[in-house]
Amino acid sequence: MKDAQILRSVPRAINWNRLEDEKDLEVWNRLTVNFWLPEKVPLSNDVQSWGQLTPEEQTLTIRVFTGLTLLDTIQNGLGAPALMGDAITPHEEAVLSNIAFMEAVHARSYSSIFSTLCSTKEVDEAFRWSQENPHLQAKARAVLETYAPGADPLKRKIASVFLESFMFYSGFYLPMYWSSRAKLTNTADLIRLIIRDEAVHGYYIGYKFQRGLETLPQARRDELKDYAFSLLFELYEIESRYTEELYDPLGLTEEVKAFLHYNANKALQNLGFEALFPDEAAEVNPAILAALSPDSENHDFFSGSGSSYVIGRAVATEDEDWDF
Amino acid sequence: MLDRLSDDLDYHALNAMLNLYDSEGNIRFDADRMAARQYFLQHVNQNTVFFHSLDEKLDYLVEEGYYEAEVLAAYPREFLREIWAAAYARKFRFPTFLGAFKYYTSYTLKTRDGQRYLERYEDRVVMVSLALARGDQALAMSFMEETLSGRFQPATPTFLNAGKKSRGELISCFLLRLEDNMESIGRGINSALQLSKRGGGVALMLTNIREYGAPIKGIENQSSGVIPIMKLLEDSFSYANQLGARQGAGAVYLNAHHPDILRFLDTKRENADEKIRIKTLSLGVVIPDVTFELAKRNEPMYLFSPHDVQKVYGVPFSEISVSEKYDEMVEDKRIRKKKINAREFFQTLAEIQFESGYPYIMFEDTVNKANPIEGRITMSNLCSEILQVNEASTFNDDLSYDHLGTDISCNLGSMNIARAMDGGDLGRTVEAAIRSLTAVSEMSAIDSVPSVRRGNDESHAIGLGQMNLHGFLAREHIHYGSPEGVEFTSVYFATVAYHAIRASNALAREHGRSFKGFETSAYADGSFFDKYTERDWLPEGDTVRALFERFGQQLPTRADWAALKEAVMTDGLYNRNLQAVPPTGSISYINNSTSSIHPIVSKIEIRKEGKIGRVYYPAAFMNNENLEYYRDAYEIGPEKLIDTYAAATEHVDQGLSLTLFFPAEATTRDINRAQIYAWKKGIKTIYYVRLRQTALEGTEVQGCVSCTL
Repeated sequence: MKDAQILRSVPRAINWNRLEDEKDLEVWNRLTVNFWLPEKVPLSNDVQSWGQLTPEEQTLTIRVFTGLTLLDTIQNGLGAPALMGDAITPHEEAVLSNIAFMEAVHARSYSSIFSTLCSTKEVDEAFRWSQENPHLQAKARAVLETYAPGADPLKRKIASVFLESFMFYSGFYLPMYWSSRAKLTNTADLIRLIIRDEAVHGYYIGYKFQRGLETLPQARRDELKDYAFSLLFELYEIESRYTEELYDPLGLTEEVKAFLHYNANKALQNLGFEALFPDEAAEVNPAILAALSPDSENHDFFSGSGSSYVIGRAVATEDEDWDF
Repeated sequence: MLDRLSDDLDYHALNAMLNLYDSEGNIRFDADRMAARQYFLQHVNQNTVFFHSLDEKLDYLVEEGYYEAEVLAAYPREFLREIWAAAYARKFRFPTFLGAFKYYTSYTLKTRDGQRYLERYEDRVVMVSLALARGDQALAMSFMEETLSGRFQPATPTFLNAGKKSRGELISCFLLRLEDNMESIGRGINSALQLSKRGGGVALMLTNIREYGAPIKGIENQSSGVIPIMKLLEDSFSYANQLGARQGAGAVYLNAHHPDILRFLDTKRENADEKIRIKTLSLGVVIPDVTFELAKRNEPMYLFSPHDVQKVYGVPFSEISVSEKYDEMVEDKRIRKKKINAREFFQTLAEIQFESGYPYIMFEDTVNKANPIEGRITMSNLCSEILQVNEASTFNDDLSYDHLGTDISCNLGSMNIARAMDGGDLGRTVEAAIRSLTAVSEMSAIDSVPSVRRGNDESHAIGLGQMNLHGFLAREHIHYGSPEGVEFTSVYFATVAYHAIRASNALAREHGRSFKGFETSAYADGSFFDKYTERDWLPEGDTVRALFERFGQQLPTRADWAALKEAVMTDGLYNRNLQAVPPTGSISYINNSTSSIHPIVSKIEIRKEGKIGRVYYPAAFMNNENLEYYRDAYEIGPEKLIDTYAAATEHVDQGLSLTLFFPAEATTRDINRAQIYAWKKGIKTIYYVRLRQTALEGTEVQGCVSCTL
């Protein structure tokens, strides 16, 4: 906190050659090579597949995506900027501004999906639903409270990690489920790009939380840990009800919950805490788990753009390279 | 554990377990086999239409208009019963889930509502064999045996369509020229639509199109260059699909010295404006030797206006060797030019490859030096393995042909190297393959694109490919890219080349004629054969010699080659082109092979396709004991891959789809070095550049096979 105050009182230029924490550069590099825009994914190839979903499946899909849009909007407009205020190093602030921007790209992506696949009326209806759904609103409010000005910076990080590593996943389940059934595969590619980003975001914020925790006395650490688990319980309650409402009609609720358990454990791991759910409760359907991995996917040119390309590091060739 | 799982897991979940290690860190191959079995139990068997007898089945399928009556009418019923009995007696089983799943979702004949299956794998194989053999019983039997044993696998369009009543074309692949006038461009787009509708991949050459800002009818700054044409093509391809079966797909090729080259590449940038962004069209760049020389000297490279080049030389830009005329064109004031930095050009190329995997590259001078046929090769195709000469068409005012040129089509099929070696008689397998591919060429007549029809009629060009090299080497405990691996590749491909030419020579004798242009080819004057009669292409090391001996393979000697040379000079060749090694996606899954002659991309490959979603595929012959021979392409690195391809390229008259693999931590310089190495080693084309990013520590999916290095 002391450094952060200095940062504000004496304006200092950011020097990436003087790092206080190597992790900032590592994550910055990872985030920048992973930059993408939704236009790269040929979503329109999913139009036919979309038409084959039943009306109930379509409604569910749109609702899931509006729910995700809401979370990304919060994280872009409030979450990441709030964390920036807590940043200890200017590099951390820079990384968080990248995170904030990519969250905006994610929120933008869902709209790309909507404009490609659905009618305006359907979308408007779903957005109205997202404003009125009590579980979704409760979810948003629970996180928003911890982001409020004056809140504890470390508690903000806890909430943020839960959002990045846990709360998104009830939504991510559905596109992964469709993709394992050969439906909406290009949409799934796009979601996988988002997952690729969120995984790094949750990891990084969790890492910063752990660094913050190290310097604190035991009593304060215990307090934060209690807070984390009680917040997770609260969010899990809401998430369960949200999941039931969405997925009961398709009979997928149990599977989604196992997936929630898996990701709750993952979020706790990012914060440096032990798992909450036993392994048996967190046994995710292998088709979904395997669908999460973005790398090494083999696709043909009839299908789409895949999710493994990155922006490369440009290095000029030297004379010795042209030795022939 | 698995038994418990198989009760409550469906086949998708079982298959996905392949990508997750078990508690002891082993790959769960048994889960995949279980998935294949469950797929039949839970899905296929219940959804297959049952017939009491073959007669009932064939009568029904003909009466209902599913099978082409003429195909079956060419054979007596007795023979049909015999060939079907022989096929079913082989007790074919799919060893992997993806193989079975791919076959039933994409190939087999279904009822018109798409709900029930009408064919099993054996039925498809027999129908394809009967259709291609056109009444020749012995030939039909040999096609069936070669295909069902997995030694030869026709390419997707042939295997999918042959024998069906309502079907697309049997040919995979088309290459069209575009010339610098609106008639040709319009005809090109029309042809792209027609060919996509029929299920082919189409590549078009843009090199001759005048550049952005070039004059039209003498008025400056009028032309809008190649980008708008690419946009039109991209939309055409997504509009035309085979009854929704799959998207049309296309590629465009441009010479590196075309003034629009940087604009062309920028269409694939991550931050490209929507107006110019190209999403689904594939790009290829034609690079002459002079570009490398300029980069070596770190000099600027000049880009030449195709419009002016055509005016000065009287022929389209593509017909000029840029390497040969470079200095002359630089000096010529009449040719408008601009300059860019050659090294920066290569760096830009690599940057775009990082972001998108494109462009493909064709090394123009290497390709033309190795071409035994008279004429220039100016482009390649969607998978960068077709390399043939073509000829421009010209048009009248009413859009009819003033001169009908030739465009390129190519039908493909690939041998499974492991099965072909097991079979003990490469000569027999290659001959059956060449006859099967030739049949496809003879049975095809693309009337909607007359230049393609003329090209096919005159050339009977075919492309025999190979797959499962890595699977075979690993099974035999040889490392991919090791000296033994490269030596095997060289000897194997020399042997295939010998038998392919031998078979085509036999066809020329039977038909009493050769392809058009044989007289002026390097086959006719015998010079093609020099490299085979001046030295041996036999194994020198013990390992490889023993390998061929163990499988009882006879290898052609110098004397055999000399005799073949005489025979070809006397009787000619029926096919203008014989070999081309495609990337083999789908067919290598149903054939249980590793793709093409590539190393595997991953021990467990994640395959995504529009129609089948995400499925997991284990490398052929891999088990938990021989994993060390299954290092993937990223571990093997570009040099060994290029060495292997260079050994094969030596004996392939057309091209080979060569993909380069890099970790995401690589730089553009690494890509450039690999390109330079490939060019130096005589590689003809480079297909995709692929990258693999390892998950940041702490963010990976736990226990995932494809994620670990």
